Parts: sequence; structure tokens; C-alpha cells
Amino acid sequence: MAMVVLRLPPDTQLVGLARLVVITAARDAGLDDERIEDLRLAVSEAITNAMLAHSRNGCHEPISLSVEDLRSGDGTGDAFAVTVQDEGPGFDPEACAAREREWSEENGLGLTLIKGLADHAEFVREGGMRVQLRFDLPAAV
Amino acid sequence: MELTLDHRIEGEKTVLEVGGEVDVYTAPKLRERLVELVGEGHHDLIVDMTKVEFLDSTGLGVLVGGLKRVRAHDGSLALVCSQERILKIFRITGLTKVFPIYDTLDEALQGQA
Repeated sequence: MAMVVLRLPPDTQLVGLARLVVITAARDAGLDDERIEDLRLAVSEAITNAMLAHSRNGCHEPISLSVEDLRSGDGTGDAFAVTVQDEGPGFDPEACAAREREWSEENGLGLTLIKGLADHAEFVREGGMRVQLRFDLPAAV
Repeated sequence: MELTLDHRIEGEKTVLEVGGEVDVYTAPKLRERLVELVGEGHHDLIVDMTKVEFLDSTGLGVLVGGLKRVRAHDGSLALVCSQERILKIFRITGLTKVFPIYDTLDEALQGQA
């Protein structure tokens, strides 16, 4: 069940607030400090991509951000999950990743960071772009 | 947290001290300052990131843009950063091979001497 659901107007000033909401929920879920830093950045990148997609396409619809504490019940495979859904045209993550390897590009390092920081990242192009980031939670003692 | 920017001259180098959060909202201010400095003839820059609390890919892009600008004038851009959470970002993106990164400002000043 989602712990938090936010609908964010596409205003880059709100990215910092969204980061704060997500890391507060992650602390409550038991994610450790180092992973919270990874989460903070990965989520920021996903929200930024969504906001820029809306901005580039003149879309004023809100971006959906949901935070879930996924517990398996037996203590294995527990994860903290964040899903960002936008209404933009979407993108091909593989094509973007290839382009990002060129360092002299001033834009587009975000996907590299998302993939490098999250334990699992899923990109689904469906009515916009849906990005789900999962961070493994430590096994309950 | 707000972005803070403060620059000063140290010998032949210009040190730009950056503090706070560098993200999609604040990075344009950093870009603007770098463009101004290069335009004013400051072509050997040290960006001191010791007080940076958060840096995202937009901020990285701005630093890459700054590097390209100074290189166009045969200049240099070095970074001061010792925070593991920030260094990790440079490692993941491969930018440790692009920027000289020093632990302290003194090392950066000597390294570029």
C-alpha cells in the first residue's frame, strides 16, 4: 500500500520539497543513511526528468509521485519503492544511456545516476513515462 | 537549502565557493556565475564544493559546461570535494576522469600551480 502519494505541479522549485518528503518516508521505513543519500539523488533525477518533460511539451498536468513500503511478509525481498509518473512523451532509456556516455554532453547524466544508485530501476513508456525505483530494505531483526 | 556562490582571487586562480543544494532549480544560478567569470577573463577556475549539500546531474552538466568554456580559452577548471556522497556521483558518471578533484583547496592551488 502506498505510504505517500503526491501530485506535483511541474515547477522545478518543488523538487527539493519532494526529496524531503521521500527521504522522511524512507527513514520511517528503515533505510539506512547511506542508502537514503542514494535514494535522495535518484528520486530527484526521476522527478527532474518528469518536470522537464512536461515543461518541454507545454504540459501543465501534475506529476504523480508515490512512495511504497513493499514488505513480503517473510522478511525477504523487502523494498522501499518510489514511482514517478509523468504525462510527457516518454523516452527510450537504452538510447538515452548510450548518449550519456559522451561526457561532453551537458545534459542527460540523470539516467546513469538513477541506474547506478537504485537497486532496481524500471522504465515503462505508457501514457507518459513511469519510472519505479526500488531500494532494498534491511531484513527485519 | 539555498545555493550560495562566492568568488575570490587566489594568485593566478579564481576560486568559486559553492554552498547548499545544486539542483534543477538552482543550477542556472551557478551556470550564470560561471559564464560571467569566464566572460570577465577568469579562465583558471577552482570550484570549491566543500559546502555543497546536494548535487544532481543538472549541476554536473553545469560544471561540464564550465569546463568546456575555460578550455576554449586554454584555461582549467578543478574541483575541491572530499565528501564521499558527492564524489560517488562523479565516479558513477565517469567524470572523475574529466575533472581534477582535490580534497582541499590548498591541494587544488598547488596542483594547478
